Amino acid sequence: MPEIDHNKLDEVVSELRRPTPLDASFDRRVMRAIRAVAMRPLRLISPLMPMPRWRVWSAFAAVAAGMLAVSVIPAFRSNPAQPVQFVLVAPEASTVQVVGDFNGWNARHAAFAAENRGGGVWTVTAPIPPGHHRYAFLVDDSLWVPDPTAPRVADEDFGHPNSALVVESAR
Amino acid sequence: MDTRADALIVQQVLAGDVDAFAVLVARYRESCARYAMHMLGNREDADEALQDAFVRAYRALGRCEDPDRFGAWLFRILVNRCRTAGARRARRAQTFLSDEGALLSASEPHPAEQWAWREEIERALSALPAEQREAFLLKYVEGLGYDEMAELTGVGVSALKMRVMRACDRLRVLLKEVRSA
Repeated sequence: MPEIDHNKLDEVVSELRRPTPLDASFDRRVMRAIRAVAMRPLRLISPLMPMPRWRVWSAFAAVAAGMLAVSVIPAFRSNPAQPVQFVLVAPEASTVQVVGDFNGWNARHAAFAAENRGGGVWTVTAPIPPGHHRYAFLVDDSLWVPDPTAPRVADEDFGHPNSALVVESAR
Repeated sequence: MDTRADALIVQQVLAGDVDAFAVLVARYRESCARYAMHMLGNREDADEALQDAFVRAYRALGRCEDPDRFGAWLFRILVNRCRTAGARRARRAQTFLSDEGALLSASEPHPAEQWAWREEIERALSALPAEQREAFLLKYVEGLGYDEMAELTGVGVSALKMRVMRACDRLRVLLKEVRSA
């Protein structure tokens, strides 16, 4: 297979290897975009990583299989925030995190990291302030999964659905 | 100049230090800009693809399996972004225009003759089919081996060699035509 064997093409390569200057504002614009992303839910569907639908079972499938599938259960009432239990059945998952407006969509908030209770049932109980909330599960740091048993709301920023949660005030 | 290893910076970003990502941007922007500019042929598309690549890299940083090779991983994202941008541009049926602004603002002043030569090269490059341009740039400008190129592009080594050969042949013809005109 011939390589570049012509002086002119050597000149071409030499010229093309010269640095390409960037607009002076490039770094600032990129970091502004990245900080905006950091404040919002991660966009999780990358063209390099197609969504593996088989990895997360719906709660309905889990129920059919006789497995535990509970969505959101107020564990007990207290004021002002109330403990809420989140449950997702995801047998193939390595990590499951609850992200929502109540924790700033922080994918690394330790208090919202679910634990595997066996059989692919992931749960975490966390204090949630009274009010209307949006949330979702983050599976393996990459897959955005709305709660299969909760009502869904559209996410106006990223287009993928989230789940709705209403926490009532303690009486 | 920040001398922290890529893996350390990646670790800091994943721990919540978003601003540490700026070091990675500064470290890789020029080499990435060169590829995007040559591949897409104008500053606006290249700038958009490059910014998109950095943002996507940030979003997927937790899935960077070898943070010591962050640059190679970022470059893979960029190659994909350039493909997408190129396809979008093709759909819009835009005509390639050399980015004279970028050329004029180059940090090193170009004599008029060299500037014209550079413009000829950019025009010849733009006349190549996208897959040949991509293979040529990865092989000779970015200096990748065929195995690396195959991993990066998902195209077989034999096909890549063929694309490079055809790109070289085509460039010779195009540049000869320009010089003899």
